[in-house]
Amino acid sequence: MNQQSAIRPPRGFRDILPTEARELGVIEQTLAEVFADSGFTPLHPPLLEYGAADSAKRRRIQFLDSDGSLVALRPDLTTSVARLVGGRYRDMTGVLRLSYIAPVFREEPAMSGGSREVLQAGVELIGGDGALADAEILALLVESLARCGLPICESTVQVGNIQLVSGLFAALTEAARFEVVDALRQGDIAGGLRRAREAGMPLDELERAGRALTGVEGDTDGAEARELCRVIELARERWPGNVERWGVPNAALVPALPYYTGIVFEAIHPDAGVIASGGRYDLLIGAFGTPRPAIGFAIDVLQLHRALFADAWRPRRQRPLLLLRASADERATMRCAAALSAGGMAVALGDVAERAGRAVIEAEVIDERRVKLADGRVAEARALGAEIDS
Amino acid sequence: MRPLRFALAQGLLLNEALAALRAIGVDVSGVTPGGRRLVVDGGDIELVLARPSDIATYVERGAADLAIVGKDVLLETGARVMELVDLGFGACRFVVAAPPGVMERSLDEYRHLGTLEVATKYPNVAERHFRARDIAVEIVKVAGSAEVAPLVGLADWIVDLVATGNTLRANGLAVVEEIASSTARLVANPAAYHLRRREIAPVVERLAAWAAAR
Repeated sequence: MNQQSAIRPPRGFRDILPTEARELGVIEQTLAEVFADSGFTPLHPPLLEYGAADSAKRRRIQFLDSDGSLVALRPDLTTSVARLVGGRYRDMTGVLRLSYIAPVFREEPAMSGGSREVLQAGVELIGGDGALADAEILALLVESLARCGLPICESTVQVGNIQLVSGLFAALTEAARFEVVDALRQGDIAGGLRRAREAGMPLDELERAGRALTGVEGDTDGAEARELCRVIELARERWPGNVERWGVPNAALVPALPYYTGIVFEAIHPDAGVIASGGRYDLLIGAFGTPRPAIGFAIDVLQLHRALFADAWRPRRQRPLLLLRASADERATMRCAAALSAGGMAVALGDVAERAGRAVIEAEVIDERRVKLADGRVAEARALGAEIDS
Repeated sequence: MRPLRFALAQGLLLNEALAALRAIGVDVSGVTPGGRRLVVDGGDIELVLARPSDIATYVERGAADLAIVGKDVLLETGARVMELVDLGFGACRFVVAAPPGVMERSLDEYRHLGTLEVATKYPNVAERHFRARDIAVEIVKVAGSAEVAPLVGLADWIVDLVATGNTLRANGLAVVEEIASSTARLVANPAAYHLRRREIAPVVERLAAWAAAR
């Protein structure tokens, strides 16, 4: 190992220093509160899961465990939650509301500026079905973002549905339809439409599909599209927010992750790109045991922070920190610090070089009850906290 | 919000890409092929000129919202972008090529030495192709003129992008197998596509109509 690699983390990983960590902490705390306010309970899946042979395709970071088994740093939390629900909650048929705030890891090609560690905050509603569950989770995503301070505008949240997309290609055989949807998952609309034409899709239906995928947003018709609009309307009732009509129906929203089966949604910011995504995945838990309907979302906390930063957000101010200069009497210094703490002050002995944006007050110990402030004023240690707060 | 940013690949596709944009009413008069200005104001749309392989990066990372770029570039870079319209021009093919009559010798070499050497400017496309065909190869990346490689003994076969096949013929090579065909595509950054659909949809619609009418 050369010296350079010893003092820097590996490619795609980075240190999060105090200023950023403090801001992330505020966001995480808010999200944890919002999730708890809707009845979601936090859990912690393990960092490692078993790996799979097709790692390049799924962008997993994998390596061999000491016993020779192939393990992967978890690439997402939804699959981990599905696994643990399939196992540990096998016999519980009721509804589960689970949440997490934890990092996931994804392979990124070198030199592409991509981060391999992503901090996700999300919820999974397991056992909830139908339009009400869909709308509740969609509304919770928007509430989560809004309570963190993100301005929600009309097009922030895009809502699609895999059934709706599949329905556009109902005229095709199942095999052809699968190929078309697979192309759309990779973002290849031109290729998907070409495949549909080659598979003999009638021209008028092809045109309708093309309009839904590349026309102006919301340019969709049919029962599935109406159902999608109904879910968005229900979600707006649950979280009215401060924009009248948040949420845009969008048939072209087809996430790359293969496990979605129904509604899908993304929150997008003009500077930070996609900051959250989610949807219904009714078949995933079945892969680990009994199938159960499920829906959830994950917020990319670092992207959310980026979006908030771009919108000039700053965390609410912390209480100032008192930097206490010791006197020659060590016992009196410690007693004085104790009195300051008892009075509600945040106290550090000596100096702090990395203040991460926190305001400081400097003071000097006079005796165990009194300090001298930087402006020369003498204050009672026990009363200083209340004085600063007012 | 800034105006829509449209990236154009400098090189073979540029003239036809400009013609397509002109045909749908975008002001491209500020763009001079080979000129030095790389960011040009085109009214509602800002035009940016860049190398083809960088275009995919620009769009993937959201530095540009839209671009016209060859499918060959998308295949090689694996960029996660949305492909909206097949514009039809700039047709070319990824092929495996080798000197005629080399097959016998190659198979013999493959039996005895266990691997073939393939020179290419497109290592990702080449590797994916041979892996799918279950053929063990050593990829030798070259920065240009892969067609010389078999002549100088650098590699047995090459993977290259050909339009007419004239260069291959001039260097005494023949197409062994076609890997994929390519044409110019209108692509978009996924987030920008969803967020700015109202502005992008008319561009897509007009370019699709333009491509269909050709």
